[in-house]
Amino acid sequence: MPSHPSRRDLFRLAGAAAAVPVLASCAGAPTTQSAAPGTFTVYWNAGHDYQAYRKVIAEFEQANKVKVNLQKYQWPDLRTRLLADFASGTVPDLVEEPGGWVQEFAISGNARSLQDYVDRDGEAMGFPSDWQPVTVERNSYQGKVYGVQLHLTCNTLLYNQAMLRDAGVAVPTTWEEFLDAAKKLTGDGVHGVALNQDYTYLWPWMVQAGVTPYDPETGKVMTPIADAVAALQFQADLVHKHKVAPVPVSGTDYSGPQKLFSAGRAAMILTGPWDLEPIRKTSPDIDLGVAPPLKHKVAATQAAGVSMFVPAKAARPDLSWDFIKRVTALDVERAATKETGMLMPRVSWAELPEVRSDAALKVFADALPDARDSSQQVRLTGKLGKWEEALKVMYQQVLIQNQPADETLRRFAASAESFLK
Amino acid sequence: MFRPRTLQGRYARTAYLFLLPAILFFAAFFYLPIGNVVATGFRTGPMADQWAGLDNYGQALSDPAVRHSFLVTAGFAVMVVAGSIVIGLALAMAIDQPLRGRVLFRVLLLVPYLTSVAIVGLLWRNILDPELGVLNRVLGAMGLPGQTWLNTAPLLTIAAVTLWQSVGYTMVLFLAGLQGIPETYHEAAKIDGADAWRRFWRITLPLLAPTTLFVSVMAVISGLQAFGQAYIITGGGPGDATDLSVFHIFNVAFRTRDFGYSSAQSVLLLIVIVAFTLVQLRAGRRGEVTY
Repeated sequence: MPSHPSRRDLFRLAGAAAAVPVLASCAGAPTTQSAAPGTFTVYWNAGHDYQAYRKVIAEFEQANKVKVNLQKYQWPDLRTRLLADFASGTVPDLVEEPGGWVQEFAISGNARSLQDYVDRDGEAMGFPSDWQPVTVERNSYQGKVYGVQLHLTCNTLLYNQAMLRDAGVAVPTTWEEFLDAAKKLTGDGVHGVALNQDYTYLWPWMVQAGVTPYDPETGKVMTPIADAVAALQFQADLVHKHKVAPVPVSGTDYSGPQKLFSAGRAAMILTGPWDLEPIRKTSPDIDLGVAPPLKHKVAATQAAGVSMFVPAKAARPDLSWDFIKRVTALDVERAATKETGMLMPRVSWAELPEVRSDAALKVFADALPDARDSSQQVRLTGKLGKWEEALKVMYQQVLIQNQPADETLRRFAASAESFLK
Repeated sequence: MFRPRTLQGRYARTAYLFLLPAILFFAAFFYLPIGNVVATGFRTGPMADQWAGLDNYGQALSDPAVRHSFLVTAGFAVMVVAGSIVIGLALAMAIDQPLRGRVLFRVLLLVPYLTSVAIVGLLWRNILDPELGVLNRVLGAMGLPGQTWLNTAPLLTIAAVTLWQSVGYTMVLFLAGLQGIPETYHEAAKIDGADAWRRFWRITLPLLAPTTLFVSVMAVISGLQAFGQAYIITGGGPGDATDLSVFHIFNVAFRTRDFGYSSAQSVLLLIVIVAFTLVQLRAGRRGEVTY
């Protein structure tokens, strides 16, 4: 055999090298993640990797002889990945979602109905009787359950007790008291309140003003519109007219107010339990107070929280359901709350002694029955994404860019009524 | 097996065989996906599985949001192109002098270009934050009023961040161009009495035309394709003030879940980029000079 390859040999080698990827691509699609033997793939929010859930995963792995591949994402990245998965047919076994996706994917046929499992195991696990009613409704479509709530949260008032005490300000309970308190607390580099650039923080104000986001019967959006305008203008006025709040900065991060609060630069913020842990960790010296949601025309607040669903093409739904059952057990909820202060969807969780005896948790737990799901009716149209995009633009135009609420909101309503038809 | 009869034919076959891996790579990872996007542009529905004909294209051409995002993108691209040429050339000329530490200066200017847009975006987001950002603390310590550029001039701000990141690269290109201009031209002009300004306009700038053309073409393409700046720094806001085209297309695809419509918009953007590039190349070649 010659020591040096001839030109013909080189051609053959080049041809063979070029053919490898082509032939490889003809070898058939790779096995899906769901079907990969011994691996159970879960898409999870990066902020929810609790020790309580790690313990559940370890038990799940041992019981089912599988290895859990817990892939953690921020919500936008999780959605991008998931939609790409749906398009390719390679799907995970279980997905955690931020609220709203279950019905969206049930409508599009990408989520699997869990009704057969609920019929079989529901009574034993207390579903749906032990879940707050709003959590069952938001995870059902055409009378069938497609998802199970993991956390149930709501928005309320967090305040710096020392600042309020020093200023001689009582904890506000209404919008008027809130404005008055914010005025008194503003000064010396401290803002009375910090509002969020994220449009979802619009909803507590809207539901307290008695606004219905979308009425499918009439096709109308943000009714009564005068109340919606007043609620929106009230927020903008906190920033631009009364100057008791800094102008929020547009971005993808919703932790701005929490950071200002933790830095002692804001006396009050309107937020959910997800900000409790960061505040306590970064500023343990802050005397944190939690008060019930503000009241206006209606005693209400915004319901939020995450759920889990199983993709329609998931290969092992039995395992997925077993995971759901384990991770939503009352003991796991209890451990997760102890670890992080997160709120849970079970009715019995709200009655736990440790919840009732914790000043902050008790306020949140008591507010849950008044929590409203603002996007429920919009989700059922399948146009939630478009709605949210338009809402984000409108909210920031008013709150950040100080455009008139009346004109901007009416323009949004006209546009939304057109595409929601 | 086919065996070319002529020597030229054999050389051609050899060349194509060596090109084959690259052709297959580009076909698999560029041309097939582009073909897929073109095909998806004619479909609609959450899974892009229903035929829509030219509806998506008609809708895109009449959609005010698409028009707005294109205007935002065009404004962004103009700022990036102008800044890349002016600042890149100015830096290259400054660094082309026999200064001490110029190698270090070059490296420092090039480092941002080697950094991911995600890191650059987060870095500047934290620097520019009006309430908690470093810049306002520094300005405050100096007794100066704080800035709110992310709210008052968001498009200009993300264009400036883009330039901060990319201008080191254009500087290197211009520097290579400057060093390719024979010194004899400048010496001859000096003997003829031309001052520095006149030599710049009559010798340096015309002879840098190919480099300027390359820089402007690349800057237009990257400006029209910008995404990370809106995604990381501003989220497209405030309102829709920084809703760059690719960011808008991304949202149509992955938020509103209309892959057909987003694909049609992608194809339209591709056409615009190709058209801009061809016009620039034609105009740029006309302006080339030789001495």
